[in-house]
Amino acid sequence: MATADLSAPGGFRRRFSIAHWGIAGREALAGYLFTAPALIGLLSFTALPIVASLVLIFLNYDLLTPPTWASGSNISRLFDDSRMLIIYRNTVQLVAGATFLNNVLGLLLAVGLNRSMPWILRYILRTSIFFPVLTTTASLAVVWRFLLTQDRGVVNFLLGQIGLDPVPWLSSSRWALISATIYDVWKSCGFLMVIYLAGLQGIPVVYYEAARIDGAGRLQQFRNVTLPLISPTAFFAVVISLIGAFQIFDNVWVLTSGGPGDASRTITMYIYEKAFRGFEMGYASAVSFTLFMVLICLTLGQFWVARRWVHYE
Amino acid sequence: MAGTLSSNTETASAARRARRSPWHYLGESVLWALLVGIALIEVAPLTWMFSTSLRDPKNSFDLPPDFWPTAFHWQNYHTVITSPDIEFLLFFWNSLKIALIVSAAQLLTCSMAGFAFGRLQFRGRDFLFGLFLASLMVPATVTLIPSFILIKEMELINTHWALILPSITSAFGVFLLRQHFKSLPEELINAAKIDGATYFRIYWQILLPLTGPALSALGIFTFLGSWNNFVGPLLFLRDWDLYTFPIAIATLRGYMGTGNQSEVLAGIMISVFPILVFFLFAQRWIVQGAAITGMKG
Repeated sequence: MATADLSAPGGFRRRFSIAHWGIAGREALAGYLFTAPALIGLLSFTALPIVASLVLIFLNYDLLTPPTWASGSNISRLFDDSRMLIIYRNTVQLVAGATFLNNVLGLLLAVGLNRSMPWILRYILRTSIFFPVLTTTASLAVVWRFLLTQDRGVVNFLLGQIGLDPVPWLSSSRWALISATIYDVWKSCGFLMVIYLAGLQGIPVVYYEAARIDGAGRLQQFRNVTLPLISPTAFFAVVISLIGAFQIFDNVWVLTSGGPGDASRTITMYIYEKAFRGFEMGYASAVSFTLFMVLICLTLGQFWVARRWVHYE
Repeated sequence: MAGTLSSNTETASAARRARRSPWHYLGESVLWALLVGIALIEVAPLTWMFSTSLRDPKNSFDLPPDFWPTAFHWQNYHTVITSPDIEFLLFFWNSLKIALIVSAAQLLTCSMAGFAFGRLQFRGRDFLFGLFLASLMVPATVTLIPSFILIKEMELINTHWALILPSITSAFGVFLLRQHFKSLPEELINAAKIDGATYFRIYWQILLPLTGPALSALGIFTFLGSWNNFVGPLLFLRDWDLYTFPIAIATLRGYMGTGNQSEVLAGIMISVFPILVFFLFAQRWIVQGAAITGMKG
């Protein structure tokens, strides 16, 4: 960046020659003034909170009485907390299921939509599949809660029509997380479809023509042309859907409230409950810090793994 | 020209050859089944919600379910809107007000910072921009607790400021607009400088109008993000009359019990409807914006 500035027209001279210091000074002043509002927002509601949460980990604080020093007790408590294990297992299961299904479905739907068809059909399909993305997660979860009710729910009624037994979608520990996954995929796969669609439309047609001339069938074209060329898009899509899925909150909050027991409690819900139900700000910060670490490791890990499977032209 | 023509015919014959394979038909039918099947699954809960919101409340749980309206009990909407206990129009106004303020604030702060980072030279610029980039990595969950304490110390709990202030800027928006400002031609700015335009004029009158697509994408998804925000109101708002739509609806379900499914669904329909209308008109922008920015609100 610095070298680019020096080579930019007038950049070097403007900064160091005395004749121009007035202009450079004015430009710098403008730079600070223009960035100030965003910078103040960033410092007070992102930077300061991060520093504060690092400090909070070492405190006991219940919001009402002044904080006291806790040294490492919040951290050692993480390792004794048996619920942490269950909750991380839930979260990983939800994240893995939702990310996998969203991306596979999103890609297949995009491939399906990226073919020649009457524009009105494309419009209808794209509109129907994408629209749920824009609706409110918490409100539509209320709708799904009605749909998934065990006794007079619509989904169980439809299952009954094809001769299947009713499923305790929300009330059994075996199904609660699966229901949350289904709802997330319903809500988000259209979003991934749109991202993959943009990626597919960026692939030059000549590659497919060349593959066809070489006698490649549909599947071979998909495997040897589409997949490698869509991989940068897929990488981006997987990274953002993983980070999103780790923070699923409204979904389970409305659908199951984390239950039964802890069966569908996610890490974000646990942090919320420790902090704002139990008023253990220090311990909740320690838990949220583990999430931060997990997300950073996952993201960096993906960049590392990406070198093997992401192809840039 | 001749070359293109021959390659076209060659392609067409190769395509015909490929089309004969049974795998082709299998693949085609799987893709079509998937597209149509998923589209139906995506739409069915919405049409069910609409149909059931129009049922007489005493029939609202009756099976079989309707996926297309058979009753037209519009009174449910009237009941929800005029109910003395739940001030639905007030929730609507609260949501709208906060979403508009937050979007306007973000468009302003992000475009100003984007302009400075993309177009101006000043000491520390790259370091400051680096701060914004680094904070893209920070999940909202991690800053939730200290932000709450900060808002509490500012004595803003149970005010709409608690939802507005933390969202007046976004690192992602700064990044997005910086890229767009950077991609605009240098000549425009040089010409304006020669004409003696101030930096504010260059930003406001010359460059900002050219960042339309990025600005509208950021605006739309910031608005939706605020409109759909659940954790914020859950955390910061205590009083009924400050509630926003999503939290009011989640509470409404408990408040009205399970006996009034039709009325709860009517309430949700009222919150979904404006978004649906907006989407039908601005679909291309929204879909493109989501694809370009990776935002979904």
